[in-house]
Amino acid sequence: MVPDHDGTGEEPGPRSREGTGERPEQRSGEETGERPERRSPGESSGSGPAAFDAGSPGEVPDFVAARDHVRSELVRFARALRRAGAAVPANAATEAARALVETGFEEDRARPALRATLVTRREDLATFERAFPEFWRRLTAGLDATGPADRPGPDAPDGGLAPLGGDPPAGEAPDPGDASDDGDGEAEATISRLSDPGEVGGVEDGEDEEATASVYSRSGRRTALSVPPSALRFGEGDLAGPMRELTRALSGLQGRRWVGGEGPELDPRKALRESFGTGGTVLNVPRRARAESDVRALLLVDVSQSVLDTLDRGFLLRFLHRARAAWRAPRVFFFDEEVREVTDEFDAPTVGRAVAALERAEAEWGGGTRIGSAVRTVTDTPGAVDRVTVVFVVSDGLEVGDVADLERGMADLSRRAAAVLWCNPLAASPEYEPACRGMEAALPYVDGLFSFAGPDDVAEMARQLRLRGPGGSVGYEYDPRRDRDGRSSGTAPGSADGSTPGPVDTDSPMEVDNA
Amino acid sequence: MTEHERSTGFGDVTEADLREVFEAEDYVADEGIVTTVLLALRLGKPLLIEGQPGAGKTELAKVLAGGFDTELIRLQCYEGLAAENALYEWNYTKQLLSVQAGEDGVGDGESVFDEEYLFERPLLRALGREGDDDGTGDAGSAGDGTDPETAGRPPVLLIDEVDRADEEFEALLLEVLSDFQVSVPELGTVRAETPPVVVITSNRTRGLSDALKRRCLYLHVEPPSFEKERAILERKVPELDGAVAAEICGAVQRLREEPFLKQPGAAETIDWARAVAQLRHDGEPDSLSATEVRTTLGCLLKEVEDVQRVDDDLLSALLESAEQARHAVEESEEAEAEG
Repeated sequence: MVPDHDGTGEEPGPRSREGTGERPEQRSGEETGERPERRSPGESSGSGPAAFDAGSPGEVPDFVAARDHVRSELVRFARALRRAGAAVPANAATEAARALVETGFEEDRARPALRATLVTRREDLATFERAFPEFWRRLTAGLDATGPADRPGPDAPDGGLAPLGGDPPAGEAPDPGDASDDGDGEAEATISRLSDPGEVGGVEDGEDEEATASVYSRSGRRTALSVPPSALRFGEGDLAGPMRELTRALSGLQGRRWVGGEGPELDPRKALRESFGTGGTVLNVPRRARAESDVRALLLVDVSQSVLDTLDRGFLLRFLHRARAAWRAPRVFFFDEEVREVTDEFDAPTVGRAVAALERAEAEWGGGTRIGSAVRTVTDTPGAVDRVTVVFVVSDGLEVGDVADLERGMADLSRRAAAVLWCNPLAASPEYEPACRGMEAALPYVDGLFSFAGPDDVAEMARQLRLRGPGGSVGYEYDPRRDRDGRSSGTAPGSADGSTPGPVDTDSPMEVDNA
Repeated sequence: MTEHERSTGFGDVTEADLREVFEAEDYVADEGIVTTVLLALRLGKPLLIEGQPGAGKTELAKVLAGGFDTELIRLQCYEGLAAENALYEWNYTKQLLSVQAGEDGVGDGESVFDEEYLFERPLLRALGREGDDDGTGDAGSAGDGTDPETAGRPPVLLIDEVDRADEEFEALLLEVLSDFQVSVPELGTVRAETPPVVVITSNRTRGLSDALKRRCLYLHVEPPSFEKERAILERKVPELDGAVAAEICGAVQRLREEPFLKQPGAAETIDWARAVAQLRHDGEPDSLSATEVRTTLGCLLKEVEDVQRVDDDLLSALLESAEQARHAVEESEEAEAEG
């Protein structure tokens, strides 16, 4: 242990490096590439690219150009991964470059090295594996003895992987980010597709990689949405993190944990600890309070056909089940033309009972939606809503009843609840605007209108609420994915297999968040 | 001093060295694991390992400590883990006694805020262990007359199941992991000359902060393939007949296709293989029987719903997979013998 007693910040010298074999590149502090520059061709790591181990006699490889090529390709690769939805840290390209210096340019070793530095989540591994071959091909092809291949300048669009090796194929636009580019890179096309917003329109014939899901257009007319199946799939575990974030963002009830600062309770342990510094005399009495870590909520779920056709039912049920497990006794109501409490159905360890409740609701009603009536019924239910309750309304806002009734109900609800959050599966579309009359009527009384089609939407809702709180500037209109790439990273509405919206395995156990 | 200006203590480790360590410690590692661990050692970056329970995450840290003959310092995370449990705590009783010992209390120039009154918890201890190559003798096993090549190695710090700890603890880790230093207000800044090898494991029960991930290399340990699992059993349960081990691996691979609450990991496979070996006499090479599987299923499945899921149909499917695996292995062995 080397304590810096005087606090001057003077650091002890590093251990002697002599004989440790440590490479100078490790201490460079700069972004990579120095290794290739200092190497002679004969020192390459075996099966590396041509720039490092080949080259005819007398032909001097352009190491500076090669180094720059590696740097820029790494940056491009990191950007491409980000645009495909992967969570790549800001310093990842730098770390990846350092890793490449260590491993050398042998694909079998470089791949795990880049995976370790660029990937931070399990769900991003598949994206990495899809994109890596194209990156590697570009990287190694550019490292020939004549220097890197031609590519667009530094101002090229972010993340797009440019056509390889000079001129693009005839008849092809040189835009590297062009999604229609089917030139010479399968991985490139894959990345581009992942980045595509869901285009409203027909599904292309023969495009069997894409699934079709039903969504509603702004005017309420059903149209087809072409969505890559990868965007429709998510595991049960994907909801755990977002729900935890949401819980933290909304927690308004005291939990069991203590926090320091101003509070109603004395903190004798801390007082005793501090008194040792003053010879046993207690100079001030610290206080503590219970941390606010619990959520009281009411979940009001529209189970009309229009919502269930749009929303993945498996996701909806998992969300409700997790909310029931993680929050403090939240109550769950299903409504269509009538309203019914289904709280108890979500206490079972499997989804079977909840699915049965959902199916009963469809069988009994299956018609239009009377949101106003449902809101008033729930508001009048004793103990359902109080000033610490966060109300979630899951609905598309397509009201068939009296809009004035809905307006009165929402006004009453917003006065009595801590916050009213409207989760609308239609808002998952980048073109969504709350133009239907029910939504227009409810909007002034809603603290936030969020898209609600998958775990990513829950994560985004939690992020906004944590940053700005329920009273702040939150909602679908502040969703950065709308502006950036048309919700490329969001789970599009619809089912996992794309054929029937929301299939649910009734035997599959719910994942319960123990925390 | 940045992290890259600091000696990692493992800058001279080569891939061959690492493979040798894994070999000696009977740890079966694929190319991805070897490369990632090698990078973590040479770059001096913490290694964040995620994967299902039983995938061998903790074992990896133990293997590194054992293989490089250095100390393993383990911090088991849990909800509510605070700085005083992870970093340091003042020995209040000793301080109080010191204050009260003399009539005039603590003399001039003395302080009860000294290392003498400090309880080192795992994180601080890991920073303090320099790898005992200066002969001071306070570095545990690192310098106790061991191989001079391994002397001077820093300890391996295992921060186990970090997802169980609160986010506040993650924030605490940031200073430790980025600068390998800890600020003790009363004492100053404690800084590791040679950073420890840090292995952080997570079972993914919650997401970790981006700030923490950014500081780490990431490794996701997948459930082992059939071949890898066979290699593991060959090393860990050598008393079991090879053909039976193949059957066990085949059955486990088939079992992992089922949507169980808790998928069996490599650790469960080893337990099961040991149980089967224990119940057999003299290494019987007979095929697995339905009764044998049924009675030892508790080694693999740890949830009652999962056990109930194994009905006669699934049991038959397991035995069929086991038999296929046995045939495949026997055929390949015959082909090798003929070749």
